[in-house]
Amino acid sequence: MFSHYMKRLIKVKSLLAFTLVFLWAAPAMMAQEDSTAQAQAQSGGDSDVSVDHGKELFNANCLTCHNPTDVPKTGPGLKGVTDRRSESWIIAWIQNSQKLIQSGDKQAVALYEEYNKLAMPAYEDFTEYDIKSILAYIDAYEPVVVDDKGGDETTVDGTATAGGEYLNLLLGGMIVLLLLVLVVLIIITQLLTRFLKQDENLDEADKEVVNQRFDLGAVFQSKAFLTVVGVFFFLVVSKAGIDKVMNIGIQAGYAPTQPIAFSHKLHAGANEVDCGYCHTGVYKGKSANIPSANICMNCHNQIKRSSPEIQKIYAAIENDQPIEWVRVHNLPDLVYFNHAQHTVAGQLECQNCHGQIEEMEVVQQRAPLTMGWCIDCHRETVVQGAADESNEYYDRLRAAHAKDGLKAADIKVKDIGGLECSKCHY
Amino acid sequence: MNYKHITWIVLLTVGLASCGQDPNDTGVEYAPNMYHSIPYEPLSQKADNPNKINDNGLNMRKPVKGTIARRNYKTTYVDNEGKEYDLGLMIYNTHRDSIEWAQKNLKNPLPANEEIIAEGKVLYERYCQACHGAKGDGNGKVGIKYTGVANLAAGQVAKYNGGHIFHVITHGKGRMWPHASQVSPVDRWKIVEYVHVLQGQQDESGVKAGEEAEKEEEAEVGEPDEQNLTIPEGVDMVNPDSTETMMN
Repeated sequence: MFSHYMKRLIKVKSLLAFTLVFLWAAPAMMAQEDSTAQAQAQSGGDSDVSVDHGKELFNANCLTCHNPTDVPKTGPGLKGVTDRRSESWIIAWIQNSQKLIQSGDKQAVALYEEYNKLAMPAYEDFTEYDIKSILAYIDAYEPVVVDDKGGDETTVDGTATAGGEYLNLLLGGMIVLLLLVLVVLIIITQLLTRFLKQDENLDEADKEVVNQRFDLGAVFQSKAFLTVVGVFFFLVVSKAGIDKVMNIGIQAGYAPTQPIAFSHKLHAGANEVDCGYCHTGVYKGKSANIPSANICMNCHNQIKRSSPEIQKIYAAIENDQPIEWVRVHNLPDLVYFNHAQHTVAGQLECQNCHGQIEEMEVVQQRAPLTMGWCIDCHRETVVQGAADESNEYYDRLRAAHAKDGLKAADIKVKDIGGLECSKCHY
Repeated sequence: MNYKHITWIVLLTVGLASCGQDPNDTGVEYAPNMYHSIPYEPLSQKADNPNKINDNGLNMRKPVKGTIARRNYKTTYVDNEGKEYDLGLMIYNTHRDSIEWAQKNLKNPLPANEEIIAEGKVLYERYCQACHGAKGDGNGKVGIKYTGVANLAAGQVAKYNGGHIFHVITHGKGRMWPHASQVSPVDRWKIVEYVHVLQGQQDESGVKAGEEAEKEEEAEVGEPDEQNLTIPEGVDMVNPDSTETMMN
């Protein structure tokens, strides 16, 4: 009955929430319709310009540096630009801002200085019609759309948290209920014991039950307990011992703290920066390379400049001190390994050996890097180039193996010397 | 044995066993004298074998000021048919202020064919896509955060020639920083060919826009004219790949 009522309550409440959200969002939606109607009316009214054409041009050429709102980006926000400057000035500026600055135009020079002398590219191909269309688009642009988006987000968040609250409430209620039951049960047992103690007509067995006391010492000293503990102790110690011995020389799971809290999850995962952008040697040489600070600076001269972690890069450059990254994969010196051989000729993905690196906050060694691990892969992996019949480089190799009755698609790394000791140890 | 002792031992063992591996600990090594290099090796742990000679205990040394990377000294490119293209030397020693000179004089020594453009695409995806986006529209995941990334497919930028793009990759332009230390000159020229595809100047097999397929042969750019590769007056030539500018 309770859950039935609870379900009803939830239903009623979610209905209520939906109604509230709808009531709140409705005026915004209506406003948007109004603005589109307005914009259409505007573009229809002035036959010299096309808001749609302006939008297209703006998004393709201007948006990376300018917002159509009053929020500045690389360049100023353009809302109300037609009120600030004359149309002829704007046309001259867009077509060639440097020319205007060099001609000594005061407005142009002031603007250039204000934005750190960052030159705006010349758009000499833009006709007067193009520029007027862009201006019309900026004028017609209503930030209502942005507000609406924000509104949507909050409503989504709102319902999500409401659902979570219901669940928490339910769980909390159940815990309180169980605690109450526990208290009631304890009270009942105590009452019963007290009542039974007053009863004179109890036999011996019943008396024993009523007067029972829990003797911890006796339990600990019992043979059964000591045997169980002994066996458990032996098992735990042997497991720990065997683990330690088996792990000698294996560093899988090693995830050292780095001097800068660099996250591969953020860079390679969320921002989709290619591994080779920073690890410049991975397709070219033996080592994948740790990027020098100038590679960090390609993005971080702009992005997250005030973050204390990024400040460490700036400090390293200023003091001409290397950043002391801790090497994670320590392949023993007695073995040779070459990245390019595996990534270019072998066509392996980084994840093949490094695990899901794009999901790691802190880099952890995933593969054991033991000889058995290397050899297993060499035994199973097909030579990609040889399997590809169109690759003429492997013609002689295919012919040589055909004599032994080995098909091109079956030539594995072990067949081309992948198990030779001296391939890796010399 | 007293039961109290047993309890303590059990608790201690369980406690120790449950600690697990410390992420900062490499564990026990069987033969450290075979694992760690005795000679100084680049990119190996400083704590293993601290270098007492170089600054900061580094094993690698900075090249002497003005050193030219070997890969830039003389570069040739051999295509699938075995034809060799001479990439020359001096064309890579452009000064960062010489973009107009580069635009006028630098010609792509590589042929615009399917093979080169496919290689250029891989390199573009590696070095450029994060900011400039897959279509070159400047809407890459990083580009949106960086802001002010050029749209390669529209406006003035879509008209830039190979020499200009090569110079921009080498020295940067506007908000973009130089990529000379990451991208070798040959790779830069390959990227240039793919950027021409994004600009709409040619298709993925190297056929120039507005040209018939038969004219493809003519569209390929030959070796650069030596006459054009003189240093322009008043421009101080510094190797972009020398250590001096690499650290900028």
